[in-house]
Amino acid sequence: MIASHHVAGYIVTMEASWIIEDEWLEWYRLTPEERWRENQKLWLFYLSSGGSLDTEPDSQSPYDALYSPGESVADGGTGVRAVRRGRIQP
Amino acid sequence: MGGQACVLYGAAEFSRDTDPPRRTLHASSENLELLRGALRHLQGRRIALPPFDQSFLQKGHAIHFRSYHPDASRIRIDVMSVMRGVDDFEELWQRRTRFALPTGEIVDLLSVPDLVRTKKTQRDKDWPMIRRLLEADYVSDDNPSNDKVRFWLMESRTPRMLVELAQRYRAEAESLIPSRPLLASACRGDESSVEADLEEEQKLEREADRRYWKPLFEELEELRRRGYGSEEDV
Repeated sequence: MIASHHVAGYIVTMEASWIIEDEWLEWYRLTPEERWRENQKLWLFYLSSGGSLDTEPDSQSPYDALYSPGESVADGGTGVRAVRRGRIQP
Repeated sequence: MGGQACVLYGAAEFSRDTDPPRRTLHASSENLELLRGALRHLQGRRIALPPFDQSFLQKGHAIHFRSYHPDASRIRIDVMSVMRGVDDFEELWQRRTRFALPTGEIVDLLSVPDLVRTKKTQRDKDWPMIRRLLEADYVSDDNPSNDKVRFWLMESRTPRMLVELAQRYRAEAESLIPSRPLLASACRGDESSVEADLEEEQKLEREADRRYWKPLFEELEELRRRGYGSEEDV
């Protein structure tokens, strides 16, 4: 895959083959505003599917042992995740 | 720290980590009173030790709350004013990145370099975020400053990206070898060695993070032994 970069006033074409997944390159190239819009779609989907606003437990967090009994939920996942599996839709 | 910032910067697509509420706070008395008012509005309740007190924030503790407001039900709110390896709030604020959202709202975020520093923790999930923050920053910056190039060379966690950077910016890479020895391997194009060195860097940072938290947790245990309650309304 190819990315264009300006170096010392010249536009050069460089390989960015260290980005293994095309999807990530596509996401990287969005502007923050575009990412925000995509993220809002994911939130709508997540909440309409019954997703919780509760924080997921993280056994490696220094805080994890602190919470009162019943504070944590049991799925053990991380809070940051990719839920989009397809390409970004216009 | 920084789940929503990671989304805007391109390192994640979705996060329900409580970053907007997990505030980095200048722990003045006035700010704490403002925070207390906001937490009351959110029907907040402290859900863990330590107590909500300026002295604990200044020592480096996080104070943990949960919202019971119907519009923000069960969102956890973690407040910190000191973070390991990260500058004081005033400096972070000076370096913040300001985004105007399509809704017209203004969002202030930790700068990418500061966000990267907050991610050097003992948790597995933070390290891929650092990698992607750097990758996204690299891909999106067509005309990097010298400072930006040095930032990439010092913080990238992608072996092939480091090799590419070292080839492209050889003089800068060589000058930074004393600060980041793995750049010597990157300059040689030795990707396997870079990968091994990155693992070692990560291991050392995670150990440092554990050492940082140990006395703080001993203090929490002492509070628990002395009968301090884990929960209270704000």
